[in-house]
Amino acid sequence: MLMERGFNTFVIVGGLTAWRKAGEPLESVPKDDLVKLPTFN
Amino acid sequence: MNSWIPLMLRHGYVLTFAILLAEAVGLPFPASIALVAAGAAIASHALGFPQVLLAAIYALLIGDSIQFWLGRKMGWSLLGFLCRLSLNPETCMLRSAESFYKRGKMTLIIAKFVPGVNTMAAPLAGSMKMRFHQFLLLDFAGSLLYTLTYLCVGFLSRDVLATVFNSFRVAGRAMEAVLLVAVIVYAVYRLVQFRKYRQYNVVPRIQVQELAARLASDQSHTVLIADVRSHGYYDVGAERIKGSIRIEPNNLDEETKSLAKNKEIYLYCT
Repeated sequence: MLMERGFNTFVIVGGLTAWRKAGEPLESVPKDDLVKLPTFN
Repeated sequence: MNSWIPLMLRHGYVLTFAILLAEAVGLPFPASIALVAAGAAIASHALGFPQVLLAAIYALLIGDSIQFWLGRKMGWSLLGFLCRLSLNPETCMLRSAESFYKRGKMTLIIAKFVPGVNTMAAPLAGSMKMRFHQFLLLDFAGSLLYTLTYLCVGFLSRDVLATVFNSFRVAGRAMEAVLLVAVIVYAVYRLVQFRKYRQYNVVPRIQVQELAARLASDQSHTVLIADVRSHGYYDVGAERIKGSIRIEPNNLDEETKSLAKNKEIYLYCT
């Protein structure tokens, strides 16, 4: 769908798992990006 | 059903416990039929009511507690996994969570009567951090209601079980037909989706090492790494590729407004 909109798009083979396995740098997901699903507590 | 009754007479308590425990941990075992058979066995004085009740309640509480703690440990990933089968996983997760939050207590009491909800209720309560003693209390009420209902059905209908069994068989056949149609419709839908999006299989792929090298080169300013996992997959403490941004796949119109067309966008999910 991004390609349809004219973006030059690639897919990372293996995704986050492969990135982690390769020892490449990671960061914590920023709090603003977390969706606050409801909890009882 | 007829074959269940002699089995119940021979191994009643152990069988009741085992089948209910299996169903409570999510395995497809016919717990309600086992309880109806146990009810018939109680009516025949072959089994004792208190012992059957205790075996059933213990099994359900143990199984549900396992599911509860599994949900607590796995967080939202369990709900994410269950919602993968839905047409819109993101909406499925949000709606399930909100619905359970609003009606969670009542849901836990009646969940055992509703296939599917039964499997999800205990892990959802765990994921949503319900207090364990509260869960246990509600689950006890639900287990008691469920057990007593089916035991009563078996107890009262001992003499008409054969008739009921025939009705079950007819209803079962109708259910099988409905299920078959549903599976075919779903398969056709997936096939249409597959054909529709087959053209995107040509999206270029890149190995991690190749991308890492590109990031280390003087071309790094053209690289944009985008996380396209669903929001719902995120739990506090979740990680992502350093420097990546989020693109919400269900909200592409809005998301693409801020994307630069002169960049190479590298997408990843889990």
